Amino acid sequence: MAEQPNQNDIHPTERIKKDRAAIVEVMMELQAKRGFLDDQDVIEAARRTGLSPTEVEELASFYTLIYRRPVGRRVLLVCDSVCCAMNGSERLLNTLERRLGIALGEVSRDGAVTVLPSICLGLCDRAPAALLNGEALGPLDDARLDALLLELKRSR
Amino acid sequence: MTAFEIDARQVPFNNGDNILKAALNAGVEIPHFCYHHALGSLGACRLCAVEVKPEQPEQRPRVVMACMEPARAGLKVSVAAPAALRARQGVIEFLMTNHPHDCPVCDEGGECHLQDMTVACGPPYRRYRGRKRTFINQDLGPLVHHEMNRCITCYRCTRYYQQYALGTDLGAMRLRNEVYFGRFQDGPLESPFAGNLVEVCPTGVFTDKVFRSRFARVWDLDTAPSICPHCSVGCNTLPGARLGTLRRVRNRDHAELNRWFLCDRGRFGHQYTEHPERPWQARVRGQTVNYSDALGAALDQLQRAGAAVAGVGSPREDLESNALLQRLIIRHGGFFAAFTDPGIEAATAHAVRYINRMGTPTLAAMEHADAILVAGELTAVAPMMDLGVRQASRNKAKVGVIHHVADPLATLADYDIRLAPRQTSVALKRLQGMIATTAEQSSGDEHGLAQLAATLMHAQHPLLIGVVETLGAYGVAALAKLAQSLGGQAALAYALPGPNAYGAAIVNEDGATQKVLEAVETGKVRCLVVTAADPLGDTRTGWRWREAVGRLDSLIVMDCVDSATVRAADILIPTAAWAERSGYFINYEGRVQCFDRVFERDKPLPASVAVIADLANALDLGAGEPRVAIADLLPGIALPLAGEPGIRLTPRVRLDVPPPIESVAGATGHWQVGLASWYGDDPLADHAAALSSLAPASTATIAPDTARIAELATDARVMLRGPAGSLPLPLCIDANVAEDTVALPRSAMCQIGVGHGGYVELEAMP
Repeated sequence: MAEQPNQNDIHPTERIKKDRAAIVEVMMELQAKRGFLDDQDVIEAARRTGLSPTEVEELASFYTLIYRRPVGRRVLLVCDSVCCAMNGSERLLNTLERRLGIALGEVSRDGAVTVLPSICLGLCDRAPAALLNGEALGPLDDARLDALLLELKRSR
Repeated sequence: MTAFEIDARQVPFNNGDNILKAALNAGVEIPHFCYHHALGSLGACRLCAVEVKPEQPEQRPRVVMACMEPARAGLKVSVAAPAALRARQGVIEFLMTNHPHDCPVCDEGGECHLQDMTVACGPPYRRYRGRKRTFINQDLGPLVHHEMNRCITCYRCTRYYQQYALGTDLGAMRLRNEVYFGRFQDGPLESPFAGNLVEVCPTGVFTDKVFRSRFARVWDLDTAPSICPHCSVGCNTLPGARLGTLRRVRNRDHAELNRWFLCDRGRFGHQYTEHPERPWQARVRGQTVNYSDALGAALDQLQRAGAAVAGVGSPREDLESNALLQRLIIRHGGFFAAFTDPGIEAATAHAVRYINRMGTPTLAAMEHADAILVAGELTAVAPMMDLGVRQASRNKAKVGVIHHVADPLATLADYDIRLAPRQTSVALKRLQGMIATTAEQSSGDEHGLAQLAATLMHAQHPLLIGVVETLGAYGVAALAKLAQSLGGQAALAYALPGPNAYGAAIVNEDGATQKVLEAVETGKVRCLVVTAADPLGDTRTGWRWREAVGRLDSLIVMDCVDSATVRAADILIPTAAWAERSGYFINYEGRVQCFDRVFERDKPLPASVAVIADLANALDLGAGEPRVAIADLLPGIALPLAGEPGIRLTPRVRLDVPPPIESVAGATGHWQVGLASWYGDDPLADHAAALSSLAPASTATIAPDTARIAELATDARVMLRGPAGSLPLPLCIDANVAEDTVALPRSAMCQIGVGHGGYVELEAMP
């Protein structure tokens, strides 16, 4: 949204298309404040882009990296698509739930971490894979998982 | 025409057709879900799996999706092939894993596409024993009920709602096995076409909430082909009744008009027939009487009045009632008018003459325009025309809208031109001037008019649509002249004020309304017969009627809804609503269509034409045969039957169009009144409980700039003064209202006695 030509030079429908296209950036920007979008943020994103709140919600609830509920300071996205599922992602998710003491999507009591399943992360070569605040992890065998849990514990 | 083969049957197709479309057009059934004629192919549900036989010996047969595979000559397709059958069974079994087994209590049962398809192709037993995915439903308002657990994710709802109807408040949320179709938050669906979700959804996620409140199984419903009585488009409908009450209205396909869809006024407006205040009992001077006593009293009054009688028909009354009442009154030596407001009469008469001379497009043809000018708030008057404009807009047509209040179509328009009511015809003349010279030369861009003029000029198929009620005769003529200046390829259409406004216009003599009104005002009329009209509730002329009827000996009223006129009647004869009788309407195209009687009540009310015939026969005027009255009006026309597509009248009324003279306002005040209407606003649908609960609040709405100049604050209350009196209203400030305009609902205009484009005084209240 930074550099914009004079709004009057653009045909109204073109301008609307431009604003609409900025929706993902707008959502990321709003999310940066508190880590998730509340209903007011959705309405604000709609106002800024000319989309309707429903249209914003369609995107916000679709994209794995946009959160509509509070999340921990770190979000661990565990891939559960084909390759990772074949390599034990379900067991991985169960273990994480058990050892962190939170269900998927919940925030740990100290606010440090949230674990979420994710559609394919594009890390099939490292299955079962995960993404910790943007950092690729995998294959998460038992040893690496222990190390990960230790790190999560330390960072609390 | 080329053809291909489905299970040894030759199926013709058009270029660009896919297998499924060609098959369905030819009446060959292939199971499908997500495909819809209006929405096209998506390939999402995988149910229309068919086998294509190999064309080369080394190839093997393959299973393809019929909706995605182009039809081509020589193709051999099998619906019955075991591989295709297995594929479809698998799809159904998967769809049914989460679908509840609630058919016995589901409103969709009996007309459910999923039910049909499961019975037709699915496995008879469920193997899945796991937990079902469940959702929380939303409150989508009073018209559409939401039951998300039944969803099979075909995306028909959002494809219809967002892509076809251009609504933005229903969407597909989330992902995976949890895809949810709903709104951001609970609340009434905003689209005027939301009710179509009920029919678009192939299962019971979206069902008719009004029907649900008084439900009947579909196989128990009495139905008959009908015509919508709520506007001049004349959409074809299929009302359903049970045990003597009307329960619902569904769409009935008409290839040139509504095809698959209805607006919410057409779908939910029918509730007026069940309104508790509906007049059921005949009344003579406040006393409840039976029909024959009321008829006797009416006869007595007509005989006593002699030639001092007048009759008022209506654009919402069928053709035969208007024609027969006109015959009765004229033969009795009195005055007849089919309208109650001389301004509306003149505007409608002109519109009808222009479309007679210049022709008018069908609703289906409107979608092929490449530039459209809409003069007036079309969504509020003829919603289905608005839906046609939306399709043209989707097909890349440039759309310009001239409007005076917030208008759903204007928000989608390329040229959003906001003008005070009286400036509309000025703008139309200005556009004509720009086209007559050349748009490029005109100096400056007045409200985007120059751009719009250039767009219209360069279009191959420009279309002009005018709202007759707000344009007035002068605006109607200005729009027609603009169409003429664009040359032969320009199409012209008018949204007329009522389902049979065209019919009323051809029954009516020019200037008759003024004559009747003046005759009543000057005491020349002793007895006035009104059928299905509410002269006393008119915006512009209601106050004059209210004073004038005091001079009558008797006011005889026939109607099926409550109104100011019904309440003032000396003799009231309640009549059958449209679904309780048959009749003819002539729509905006001059298409005569017949609606059939759908059901009979336990205590049936007479059709107004039957009451008029009884009066005519008793008076021995030889005017009693409705068919003869219509035949005289439409000589040489073989009237269509109900269920037929109707007959379009060829030009037969006088073609010379006298130029209308713009009326100059005599009233004081510098605020122009603009009609603030909405898609549920209609004399009948106003009495439909669920629909009318969505009506916007009654306010006086003005533009922010105007408010600033007039020093009016947002939360102010204002006093409006017109010829009929004054009225306090809360003020609303809205940037979508034109300057110098105060937008008022119909009821407020009626109370102060000012019509659209009239002037009113407005001041802040302390």
